[in-house]
Amino acid sequence: MRAAVSREDSSDEFVNQQNFDRAVAELIRLVPIPPESAEWFLDKEAIRAPRWTWRKIVLNPAVLAISIALVVIAGVFAFHLLDRLNDFPGSATARKLLTVAGSTRPVMLDPVSAEAGTLSDLFFMKHGLEHYDVPDEFADFQTIGCRVFDDDESQRIAQIWVAEKRMQFFLFPAERDGKTGAVLAFPGWRYVHQEGWVGAVAEHNGVCFMAVLQGREKDLGPYLSGPKQ
Amino acid sequence: MSDQKQNLPQLYRFCFLMLGDSRKAQEVFNTTLREAAVRAAQGELPREPFWLFREARWRCLEASKTDLQPESLEIEEHDIAPQAALQIKQLEPAQLAIWISAAPDPQRTALALFYLDEFNYLEILDIAELKLSALSRCLLQGRRQLQAWLDAKHSGAPEV
Repeated sequence: MRAAVSREDSSDEFVNQQNFDRAVAELIRLVPIPPESAEWFLDKEAIRAPRWTWRKIVLNPAVLAISIALVVIAGVFAFHLLDRLNDFPGSATARKLLTVAGSTRPVMLDPVSAEAGTLSDLFFMKHGLEHYDVPDEFADFQTIGCRVFDDDESQRIAQIWVAEKRMQFFLFPAERDGKTGAVLAFPGWRYVHQEGWVGAVAEHNGVCFMAVLQGREKDLGPYLSGPKQ
Repeated sequence: MSDQKQNLPQLYRFCFLMLGDSRKAQEVFNTTLREAAVRAAQGELPREPFWLFREARWRCLEASKTDLQPESLEIEEHDIAPQAALQIKQLEPAQLAIWISAAPDPQRTALALFYLDEFNYLEILDIAELKLSALSRCLLQGRRQLQAWLDAKHSGAPEV
């Protein structure tokens, strides 16, 4: 192959062709450029792609739209993550009961005027609900009414309305392990939030107690003792 | 795009070789660059190399569509003569441009791009959208036809 190329390189025919091509190219290089067209040579920047700056990249509509979408996705993800971090056994039921608290009217409850701590006996005697006890922190509060109802999972829920800050208490069965049936206990008080309502939940003897009011954690905080999360 | 691939004098010469008429070449050259400037201002310049030459090529072909077309005659071909370089030196650039512009495309594009001495073979194949065999055929035929034209021109010319 190399020999063939070398032979061809030195052939008269090839040398003639090279001279021919060179002469044509030289002649073309002599083509004069009209002055009107030559003006473009001074303004080469006009047809150069503009340099990308950070500002241009950021203000590019596509980049902007993608960035906003990513921020929104990240926000939703973070919100759900934080929500999950605050979860505890029974938090789903607690949130549902916050909605119930928001829609409850006093006429829906049986009027009862007593100290909240004494209603444990009522729940046991009348409804057969064991350990539906109001914790000591809330035991002295004067009640306005109470009721016992089944939620959509047929769990027996006790609801108490007290005079103090129009607070409501809920007592409901603690969540249990699906396989062993053991109570999924958690220590101290846990907060749940739903549409402007806040609840503080504690578990004791397989029953969750939740104190609910319309407001924020700081409104409930003073009533609670022990660790809060 | 690099400066090398944006050689504007060569772009003008390309237009001139494609059209054989400086007024038309100037018109196509200016239109191509004006359009490029508008696209540059809008940030829509193509990223691929040689797009200016490709654009100019299509404009040249479009501009020459309405011109008188060469008759489809069997054009004489001669072997390259040893004195060809001398014969070429006696030509005016405009004469060569007219001869190249009269060739049918894609031979016209192939000859114009090749003799600009600006691009390598791969780049010519890319701009002219030709296969290597077709480009080789165009150049071979072009050389032999140009030689025949030079021979005819010089045999007809009075000896000095």
